[in-house]
Parts: sequence; C-alpha cells; structure tokens
Amino acid sequence: MQIELALFAHLTPYLPPAGADDAPGSSHARPMDLPDGTTVGQVIARLDLPAGPRIVFVNGRHAPDNHSLANGDRLAIFPPVAGG
Amino acid sequence: MPYPTHPVPAPDEYAALRARLGSSRVGVIGLGGLGSNVAWMLARAGVGTLVLADHDVVDASNLERQFYFADQVGREKTAALTDNLRRITAEIRLECFQAHIDQSNISRIFEGVDVLVEAVDSARDKAMIVAAASEQLPGVPIVAASGIAGYGSPNDIITRHLMGDVWMVGDLVSEVSAEHPLFASRVAIAAGHQAHMTVRLLLGYPQA
Repeated sequence: MQIELALFAHLTPYLPPAGADDAPGSSHARPMDLPDGTTVGQVIARLDLPAGPRIVFVNGRHAPDNHSLANGDRLAIFPPVAGG
Repeated sequence: MPYPTHPVPAPDEYAALRARLGSSRVGVIGLGGLGSNVAWMLARAGVGTLVLADHDVVDASNLERQFYFADQVGREKTAALTDNLRRITAEIRLECFQAHIDQSNISRIFEGVDVLVEAVDSARDKAMIVAAASEQLPGVPIVAASGIAGYGSPNDIITRHLMGDVWMVGDLVSEVSAEHPLFASRVAIAAGHQAHMTVRLLLGYPQA
C-alpha cells in the first residue's frame, strides 16, 4: 500500500528520499510504500524519528501509535516545541 | 500592494461582524504569555464569551510578558485575568477553570466552544491537548502555537493551517531555553496571530 507522509519543522530531514518517478510536490510531504497493516508506531520506528512530543494525525484526525494505516492515508507528524 | 483576503466591510457590515463575534464562545487553555494576551485581544475584538483555564498563580517573573500587574502576584491567574478583562469590558462573559487541562476534563470544560486556543508552555502538553481536542471535540478549530522564543525575526512568526482542524502559529522551531528566553514583543506577536486567526475563523475565513 502507499500512504502520503508529511513531516514538519525539525522532522523534515527524516523524510525518505523521493523516488525518481515521484511527481514534484510539497517539500515536507512524500509518498511512502508500506506493507499492508503497518501501524503509525511502526512508521515512526522505521523513520527513526527523534524522541519527543509529537502531534500525529491520520487524514486530519489524531491517531495513536497502534493505529493501522490503510492505502491512501495521509500521515502527518508535527513536533511541538516549548514556550507559551 | 497586497490584496485583502476578503472585502473590506462597510460600516453596517462592521456592526454585523461585531455582533457575530459577540455571540461567539472561545476557549483558551493556558493563561501565560500567549493566553493572557490572546484573552484581552479577543475581549477588545468583542468576543462574547471566553472559557479560560489555567492551574497556575501569577509569579513576579510573569510580569515581563503576561497581562498581569505587580499587585496581582500570588493570585490565581483565572481570578486576576477576570479582573483585568472586566476593566476592559464589563459585558464579557467569562467561564473560569483553575485547573490543569488534560484528556479527563477537556470535553467537559470546552464542549460547545467555537474555537479552542492552545496556549500552554510545555511541548508535551501541547501535543496532549491537540490530540485530546481532536478526539473529544471533533470539528472545533484549534489555534495552537509552537516556536515563539528568542529574539529571531518578527517575520518568522506566521500562521499556517497545519492539518485537520489545527492552525499553528510560530516559527515552528524556536524552543524556549536559557539561551532563547521568551521576549514580550515576540510572544505578543504570536498571541496576536492566535487571536486574529481566531477572529477570522469566527467570521468564516479559515484561510491563514
């Protein structure tokens, strides 16, 4: 299956490299091929994202790490930083 | 010259816009440098009801950027802010909760708000609040902030539609630290962005 992965702020360098056939698109989003049933947590582990609080959305709603992704899903991960 | 993103209202339309804000209800979580300043801006903009939550008391160190006064040190922030907002407008309706907001109480306290402003300090709380609001208050726009510390350019503070119902204000990376403290001026810029994005959402203009 294929999802769209969006990583923001200091996570952007963890995007997988763009494939030669990928259409040029957003600098922070990329298509990603995954085995069926891959969970959000497995994607985070596979990308080796740094530890720290994350806002994780699938298709515009919060999703926990054990959420199983489906073909065509959009996974977006944002790392908030302190200050308020 | 940049184009306005919507038509400039005629005077009678301006009254209608104020009336629309007056019937609105906005939640603010965290009443520090962001939240206390967002609150007075929304009060002056004519928002009718504010739901305010913070667990903290006013500290002397808060006075360098938060909307409190020296004689309020030691008071609960919800009580001190209530007094200060009522000095701006006696008409505003205030619902105050001296509490730490988390998954256990967010829906009870903020059910029915038109917009929710995330204005807490810690990154962990920011992530928790956005997640909890997304799960428990579906469809409520959240105006959050991340990356507001230090003396970086004022123009790096922007508002963007991040994902789903979340709008994010800040430069996304300037974390508060000993080397990058919070400055009243840059925090106020971010608070202004949050307040104004809230006003736009209330008026039906979701574009950042």
